[in-house]
Parts: sequence; structure tokens; C-alpha cells
Amino acid sequence: MDTIPLIHLQLLSAFLFVAGLATVLLRRNLFFVLMGVELMLNAANLSFLAWSRVQSGASTMEGQVSPLFSIAIAAAEACVGLAMLLAVFRSRESLDTDAYSRMKE
Amino acid sequence: MGFAMIAQVYFWIFAAIAAACALGVMLSRHPINGAMSLIGTMVSLAGIFSLIASPFMATLQVLVYAGAVMMLVVFVIMVLNCAKDHSTPLFDGAGLFGVLPAAALGALLVRVFVGLDKQATVAMNPQAPRGDVDAISKTLFGAGQHTGGWALLFLAVGILLLTAIVGAVLLAKRHLDSPSEPATIEGGH
Repeated sequence: MDTIPLIHLQLLSAFLFVAGLATVLLRRNLFFVLMGVELMLNAANLSFLAWSRVQSGASTMEGQVSPLFSIAIAAAEACVGLAMLLAVFRSRESLDTDAYSRMKE
Repeated sequence: MGFAMIAQVYFWIFAAIAAACALGVMLSRHPINGAMSLIGTMVSLAGIFSLIASPFMATLQVLVYAGAVMMLVVFVIMVLNCAKDHSTPLFDGAGLFGVLPAAALGALLVRVFVGLDKQATVAMNPQAPRGDVDAISKTLFGAGQHTGGWALLFLAVGILLLTAIVGAVLLAKRHLDSPSEPATIEGGH
């Protein structure tokens, strides 16, 4: 039978999550910070779905339902995050996170 | 059977595209390039989702993520046209504090996943239950179960999305206290 090893799916998910985390931590541009968060949420969805395929019984479908809420929260996060980005860009004229250091001054 | 490995071949193609596009998000200079790479990751992840028998989630991934969310991101990038960051280097000394936690998390995840059951595989079984609309809606709303399903959480998500939309509209307004003011030219500030 044609199969995909679970560990390959999980390693791909781990790679995408680490890439997203590195994007959030390394990049200074606010757009890339938001996109890194989206990448991490996608990786978690892949992990959910891959795990759900090796469960048996009712929990198979539970794992298919969980990413639905993750996607909804990601949509809300992108919506509010981009509005905040617009508001903060208007006050500072910059998207560099180093420019937002008024508390230090 | 001649096509016994076809699912693995497709998985490797999609995985390579997803990983390359994730690196593209991390390394590209202009946000538009990053957003296009992220769309590539999302679409190839949708391919993997449908490969592991989750057609509903694959559809949602394309419709909501690659369609709606990334459309919004690209739209805002184009509104703020001066978003290119060429002033700061991609990697500098401060970036070391970002690389270390990411590498530590990656090592931890790989350490956990290598200890998994090697025999656990996702089989391409046409008789196995698929995550289609029928099965997912029955689980979501608890049809024929003792528990109520996830219906209450589903309603909460609706309230969350409504709150997020109202909050985004309020945040993006230029003047919060004068809602009916038309967008006039105000001496460029």
C-alpha cells in the first residue's frame, strides 16, 4: 500500500515552524514578523492533520476539526495585526522595529 | 502496481516547494517577494493536506489563507509602498539572539520526532474515513455523539471574528473621535 511516513510529515512541520520562528526573531520589518507568525500557524495545522491520520476511531476527526479554529484565529490575527501595522506606520513613518523605541528615550 | 510510490513522489515535490518557499520568506528583501513565497508555501501545504485525505482543510487553506489572508497582506504591502528594508542587514550580531532559540527549538522538535514510532505511516487507503465536509460537520456539531461537539467553540470563533473586524476598522480609522469626517487633503502629514 502507498504510504507516507508520519515522521516525514512531522519533520516538514518542524522545519516550517522553525523557519517561521526564525523569521519572527531575525527580521526587523513588521510585514515579515506577521508572515512568520502565519508560517508557524500553517506548520501547526500540518502537524494536527498528520497526527489525526494515525489515530483511530473518533479522534481521527477531532484532529481534522482543530485546524479549522486555528485558521479562524489566524484570520483574526492577520486582520487586527495589519490594522495595527497601518496605525503604527502612520505615527512613525517606518516599518523597522528598531524605530519603535520611544520608551527607551 | 506501477504507481505504488506516487503519493510519496507527490509528497516530496510539495515538501520541497514548501520548504524552499519558507526559506524565501525568511531571506527575501522586499515584503512582496516574501508574501509570494508564503503563498507558495500555503498552496503546497494545501496539496499535502489533500494528499493525507483532508480535502476540506485543503480547500480552506486555499480559500482562507492563500485567498483572503494573503490578499489582505499583499494589499497592505502595496498601500505602504515604501516598505522595502534595505537599510538594515539581514543578519547581524543581534540576530544571534534570534538564531539560538530557533535552533534550540528545531533540535528539540527533531529529537522528539526521531523517537517516534518508525512504523507509523499515513496510508493512502480509499476506505479510510476522509476529512470531507460531511465527516467534519458531524464532528463539529456533535451529531450522534454524547458530547456536544465543538458547536460552542464555533460560535465563540464567530464572535472573535466579529470583534476582530470591528477592532480593525477602529484601528485603521485616521481620526477616532470624528467618524463622519471625509478624507480631505490635510497638508501632507
